[in-house]
Amino acid sequence: MVKTIIAHIKKDFRIEFRNRYAVSVSFSFAFTTTLAISLAAGGIPFSPQTHAVILWVIMFFTAMSGLAHIFVREEDRGTSLFLRLNSPALAVFTAKLLYNVLLFFVLQCMILPVYLFFMQLDVQSPLFFLGYVFLGGIALSSSLTILAAIVARAGARGALFPVISLPVSLPVLWVVIQGTSRSLGRAGFSSPGDMVFLLAFSGTITAVSYLLFEFVWHD
Amino acid sequence: MKKNEYSLQGASLTKFFGTAAVLRDISFSLSLPSSLAITGPNGSGKTTLLEIIAGIQRPTKGTVRLFRDDTELRRPWHHETGYVSPRLRLYDELTAQELIEFTCASRSTLRNRADEFLAMFGLTGHRKKMLSRYSSGMAQRLKCILAFISEPPILLLDEPGSNLDREGKEALFRYLESVRSERIIIIATNEKEEADFCGERISLG
Repeated sequence: MVKTIIAHIKKDFRIEFRNRYAVSVSFSFAFTTTLAISLAAGGIPFSPQTHAVILWVIMFFTAMSGLAHIFVREEDRGTSLFLRLNSPALAVFTAKLLYNVLLFFVLQCMILPVYLFFMQLDVQSPLFFLGYVFLGGIALSSSLTILAAIVARAGARGALFPVISLPVSLPVLWVVIQGTSRSLGRAGFSSPGDMVFLLAFSGTITAVSYLLFEFVWHD
Repeated sequence: MKKNEYSLQGASLTKFFGTAAVLRDISFSLSLPSSLAITGPNGSGKTTLLEIIAGIQRPTKGTVRLFRDDTELRRPWHHETGYVSPRLRLYDELTAQELIEFTCASRSTLRNRADEFLAMFGLTGHRKKMLSRYSSGMAQRLKCILAFISEPPILLLDEPGSNLDREGKEALFRYLESVRSERIIIIATNEKEEADFCGERISLG
């Protein structure tokens, strides 16, 4: 099973780096938005809360534009039938989930330096800031992966994905914005509750996804 | 002792699309080795029946059951079936070599016969070419390789000769002939040559 999952991840990264669809669309969105906000602000200092909101709005839309692609591409090109005939559903989902977590991690590693540089952001607690950013990334990518699988099987995909992802992503965004804001300001790290929530959310959504995916994939 | 004796049974298979019945009460029973041709005019349900057997579609009524040594196997039958169809799409951004490696890893199969199959279907010189540059005939040859390479006991072939030239068809039938004593082969076709290859026949429509 492990070899199968690794083969799937390798295949997906190979395809991504040969057409660079998700990376280029997501990164150009993030880069343009950051640059536009930075120019529009014209040196006006933002509060940590505002920075946290802007950063996570950019992260959220980056995830929305890049992560749904993993299942939609298979359905649109008709290659999902090949996967269904050759691979166990469990391996397909695990590989797609890990791929999305890794891809979003790569995107975050590209977006963060750009944001820090253009917005001249002063991070008070860098370790906790990175902790919130990456745990938030895992929570977002794990929830968007199963939603992408559901949406890919439905019609009217463009409209459906934002609508169903909003209620699922909202708690994550709320918690991660509060945590990021605290790590940027002088308050620093106050309680582990937020991080525990992000971990628990990722774990729960992944567990539910495993129960759900078999039906989504085969029905 | 396990002898790997497979049998495939379809019972009362019926399929409706809306109110239109495509298949009505189709039954069959095949034991290894055997071969079945599904024939009939366009739209008679050949592909639908094959897809129901493969598990791609669900019948409105009826069941398809697979047994190994009298033990029923639950779907999905990844290790037991190889499927070739014009509806199967491959990854344009991969090479034949990469797709074969991926398929073998997906099916947990050793890929030590990859060279042999590539040579058999005349794709050895094209193994490192992107599939976007493959002609439809070359893609069909590759689909055959991907279905056969894990040596599944059941081969489900939907118009396997489509897009193949004379050389490709000869390679296909040479392979099918060499394994017919150890496989259950089901072919959905309108081609006389393909239908005549099979011992049994279901005529639809």
